[in-house]
Amino acid sequence: MAGPNRRNILLGLGVGAVSAVSARAETRNVDDAPAGHAETAAKSVPFYGRHQAGIVTPRPAAGIVAAFDVVATSLDDLERMLKALTLRAAFLTQGGKVPTRDPKLPPADSGLLGPVIAPDNLTITLGFGASFFDRDGLSGLMPARLERMAQFPNDALEAEMCHGDISIQFCANLQDTNIHALRDVVKNLSEFLVLRWVIEGTVPPVPPAPDGSTPSARNFLGFRDGSANPDSNDTAAMDRIVWAGADEPDWAADGSYQVVRIIRNFVERWDRTALSEQERIMGRIKHSGAPMDRPDAGERDLPDFAADPAGDKTAMDAHIRLANPRDAASQQNLILRRPFNYSRGAVRNGQLDQGLLFICYQRDLQAGFITVQNRLNGEPLEEYIKPVGGGYFFVPPGVSGPQDYLGARLIAEARRA
Amino acid sequence: MVGKYLKTTALALALGGWAGMAGAADPSLDLVGPLSDYKIYVAENTGKLVEDVTAFTAAVKAGELDKAKSLFAPTRTSYEKIEPIAELFSDLDSSIDARADDFEKAEQDPEFTGFHRIEYGLWHEGSTDGLGEYADKLLADVQTLNDRINALTFPPEVVVGGAAVLMEEVAATKISGEEDRYSRTDLWDFDANFEGAEKIYTLLRPMVAADAEFTSKVDGNFKAVADVLSKYRTPEGGFVSYEELTDTDRNVLSAKVNTLAEDLATLRGKLGLG
Ligand code: HEM
Repeated sequence: MAGPNRRNILLGLGVGAVSAVSARAETRNVDDAPAGHAETAAKSVPFYGRHQAGIVTPRPAAGIVAAFDVVATSLDDLERMLKALTLRAAFLTQGGKVPTRDPKLPPADSGLLGPVIAPDNLTITLGFGASFFDRDGLSGLMPARLERMAQFPNDALEAEMCHGDISIQFCANLQDTNIHALRDVVKNLSEFLVLRWVIEGTVPPVPPAPDGSTPSARNFLGFRDGSANPDSNDTAAMDRIVWAGADEPDWAADGSYQVVRIIRNFVERWDRTALSEQERIMGRIKHSGAPMDRPDAGERDLPDFAADPAGDKTAMDAHIRLANPRDAASQQNLILRRPFNYSRGAVRNGQLDQGLLFICYQRDLQAGFITVQNRLNGEPLEEYIKPVGGGYFFVPPGVSGPQDYLGARLIAEARRA
Repeated sequence: MVGKYLKTTALALALGGWAGMAGAADPSLDLVGPLSDYKIYVAENTGKLVEDVTAFTAAVKAGELDKAKSLFAPTRTSYEKIEPIAELFSDLDSSIDARADDFEKAEQDPEFTGFHRIEYGLWHEGSTDGLGEYADKLLADVQTLNDRINALTFPPEVVVGGAAVLMEEVAATKISGEEDRYSRTDLWDFDANFEGAEKIYTLLRPMVAADAEFTSKVDGNFKAVADVLSKYRTPEGGFVSYEELTDTDRNVLSAKVNTLAEDLATLRGKLGLG
């Protein structure tokens, strides 16, 4: 699918050297993606702003998270690294022509997207892990709630898929765009960054419902995922739920805590489980996403747990009920989820290796993810899922303009100290 | 000793070794000096390889386990230094230096021979039993390699590109510690690969010295690697086990290797070789 679509994009932008005749012949038969791909490829998400993009900006269909260790130790080297990354991100997310070089040299760009890079709604979001602050000058400036991800009871963490000095989240309409950006970062920052792990995910594009709303995409358990997510367009809600500031080092204002969890799903077993049991475990109607106490409602309609104190409708240990009991106290524990589904072949025992690339953002890591996960510990869903990797990171504020760079306030504060 | 290799090399040169380059583009002319110096370097190393493998395989065949183990890592270094050239003979490279994962049946595969098969016997099985035939074959193979290299016209692009190739090798298959997995002598190989790459770079450096930004970056990265490796040297001139390499130092090596690979990959183009 990517091939013909990519070709359309190139043709649409007028830069493809592909024969129009053969491309047309091919796309007529193969291409069943929605029309207007050239249009979405040309779309960009602003790079400069108060917050980094890729958190409350719309989630496109493809995501990658890559975690790296950073070799730089001095503040000067860290500044060089962060500036280099900022430059690449500013270019890649806005697109443009790839510089040409003497053909005797390796090309400046992998060429995956052709000679002109379409922005394709790409966002590149940088996060700092706790180990990033294990450096002279930075240790006193670690965000107050940041820590190294610890093992939860149901976890089976694989060391080579965990943690990292930094995380980089790439989101774009097409996975090729993310892969291109990742390759660009790896190539241009090889002096500073050593890759630890990388995971790719996608969410299916969902056609709009008859009433014009966009239903949530489904995860690999077949349920709509995102129904009860806070509204990322509601800036007041985002200030309350997502953006850090209070009781944090000055530099961290307008940043956010990022949690990444690679959660394997035992899909064969799930598919052998009765529908009624699946719905009981999740606490939602599978096909519509409606809450259990209002099966004819829509996925955006809220359950009324207060009217169901014994769990007759929505089981007390249903995923959504534990994740968000919807009482006054749990309002402090809201998180903004931005997950992708991953599928990466098979494991040794002949089962599919699929799962959820769970990503969420919150103002307070402890009150957010950690509290919610602790409430979920022991939930019936655990029989079907196994967290195997990920990490906790702090996403620094956005880049205000060409003179600024990612993490500049942290470096400046460290220099002053 | 050196005299002998010099003579062989001079002979190969005299026998028209450079004929293949006659039609090459101008820049190659400036390369004649560095190339013949490199050829001498390679000849010295293949000569030393034959000598060391002779002693190593003799110890294996005599059943001297400890001696064979102590000779394993130093013997390999001459091979690792000249890998860009040695690799030109893929049949020999496979029988001399392949790893168990290159074969479907891994360690049990009958095609698995060479250094790492012997390493498997010495460390994993803890014995020289049954290694005699591998020892004979290894010695015969390095002798053949020596003969072939002495008769070889060095393709300039292979030599110039070889610096990056060595770094790609380290980045792709060595940094992870999978090369000498039974003996954990990987740091000896790293060191030899770096020396081999730096040798090529040093010979060519005068030709790219005008690009001071480039040379100072490459010089700095070679130095950084040397600094890291020096922490792991033993008083006897060898290296401690790969397992002692800290994660931090492995990350530094990895970053430097990739950056060196990135930069050294431009040498061919910088010297006008397509
Ligand atoms: C493979 C693992 C998981 C699956 C398959 C899964 C699936 C779902 C589904 C289907 C819903 C209902 C629809 C929605 O509101 O989005 C949901 C809701 C939710 N999930 Fe998960 N989830 C997983 C892991 C997690 C984790 C690790 C957390 C956080 C610790 C979490 C937190 C939440 C929250 C907060 C809600 C919204 C509850 C509400 O406000 O009603 N989920 N999840």
